[in-house]
Amino acid sequence: MVKLRIGYPEDPDYPERLAEFEARIARGEKIEPGDWMPAEYRRQLIRMISQHAHSEWVGMLPEGAWITRAPSLRRKLILLAKVQDEAGHGQYLYHAAETLGVTREEMVEALLSGRAKYSNIFNYPTLTWADVGIIGWLVDGMAIKNQTMLAQCSYGPYSRAMVRICAEETFHHKQGKEAVLLYARGSRKQRQMVQDALNRWWWPTLMMAGPHDTDSPHTPLLLRWGIKTKTNDQIRQEFLNEHVPELLEAGLTPPDPELRYDEKTGNWVHGPIPWDEFWKVINGEGPMNRHRLLARERAHEEGRWVREAMEAHAKRRLAQAAD
Amino acid sequence: MWGTEWPRYEVIKQDTPKSPPQMVGSVHATDPEHALLLARHVFVRRPSAYALFVAPAEAFFHVTQEGLKGPWSEGLEEGPEEAYWVFAKRSHRRSMVYGDLVGRFLAKGPASAIREALLHAQGVAFWAVPERLVVGTEPKEEVIESWFAPAKDKTYRLQSYYGLVTAKEVEDAP
Repeated sequence: MVKLRIGYPEDPDYPERLAEFEARIARGEKIEPGDWMPAEYRRQLIRMISQHAHSEWVGMLPEGAWITRAPSLRRKLILLAKVQDEAGHGQYLYHAAETLGVTREEMVEALLSGRAKYSNIFNYPTLTWADVGIIGWLVDGMAIKNQTMLAQCSYGPYSRAMVRICAEETFHHKQGKEAVLLYARGSRKQRQMVQDALNRWWWPTLMMAGPHDTDSPHTPLLLRWGIKTKTNDQIRQEFLNEHVPELLEAGLTPPDPELRYDEKTGNWVHGPIPWDEFWKVINGEGPMNRHRLLARERAHEEGRWVREAMEAHAKRRLAQAAD
Repeated sequence: MWGTEWPRYEVIKQDTPKSPPQMVGSVHATDPEHALLLARHVFVRRPSAYALFVAPAEAFFHVTQEGLKGPWSEGLEEGPEEAYWVFAKRSHRRSMVYGDLVGRFLAKGPASAIREALLHAQGVAFWAVPERLVVGTEPKEEVIESWFAPAKDKTYRLQSYYGLVTAKEVEDAP
């Protein structure tokens, strides 16, 4: 494909075009495919949107593992619908990234070859059924905070994908919360199971919002161009303020001895996040990194004959139409 | 046959008989029929469709907001007269769709069709596609029933199904 060579600082009209571009964002206009944009804006969006799309796809795996083991037909229907939604969300996002000039093939290849990143949270295993509830309530809860922010994004296709995803994702959050609250007031074994799931998912969930603002080099530019409208720490704070009181109310205890409510700011304040672990997992040493990629690779390979059959069928129809 | 990936089809969804068909996104497919099936899986998992249409993405002629300010339609080739579907992005408001169908216009090319549409409709960006390339679900009752009604039974996909979920069940219970 032809790579676009416009929007670079060395272009003679760059300062003028950049000023117009930033004025459009300041007026609240959405930037659309085909509009002038700085090459760096395009690059950052391709990076973020494709990572986000990969996360939706890989995100199907930890929960998908429990579809056959759901404890009731109702829970199985809900989980199937949720996993199917994640596949659809990946499709919306791949489409949004394609509008920037990257191809679907390039993105899929980057994921399968292990070059592309996806959300770290999916490199942890789902050990018990309670994990499915905790993922819905907390992991999707954090995702929704981020996605609600991204629905305001200055790039039209990304914003539209996010509006659609948020509308659907609310059910993911609610079904998880419903399940966790039920187990939290269930038998001793159920309470233990859900507390154990909370213990394992708590820190990875807080890490989902990304490094602290002081360690996030992209953030100032992303904010200036309206790609993001809130910082990582702001998103994390919103998540804590909504979820901590409800977890405590349910009789569950986040595994952070330093977690406290700050009367002055009205915020829940967390203790130090184990960032060493975050960097280890992001660099491929998480418990499930290899497994997740192998599963995606296998799905891609096992689907090959279907793709080939579809193609042969379409070819034959084209040939028949030509006769 | 197509290089490394299947062709991309723009997906157009109409929510009710009275609402305009709207551009919602795209899918990669081997032919229009396949594209329609994929479009249903991707864009109609919830009960919100009356009809679906697809057309090859490469067949769309597009004028951006910046383009509209310049001599965008000068020097474009014209062919025999045919019907075009013209879509407009109406505003910059937050939305999950991008182009609303503003009409069908007989024209000798997509640019002429958009010029015609501009006499009747407002918008910040426009798309035009030849009607002969648009393939859709038939507006027959049995087709609508079989394609879109099953989603109506899957109420657990909707957050309203779960009602108010709270840890304070005793105090807040109705």
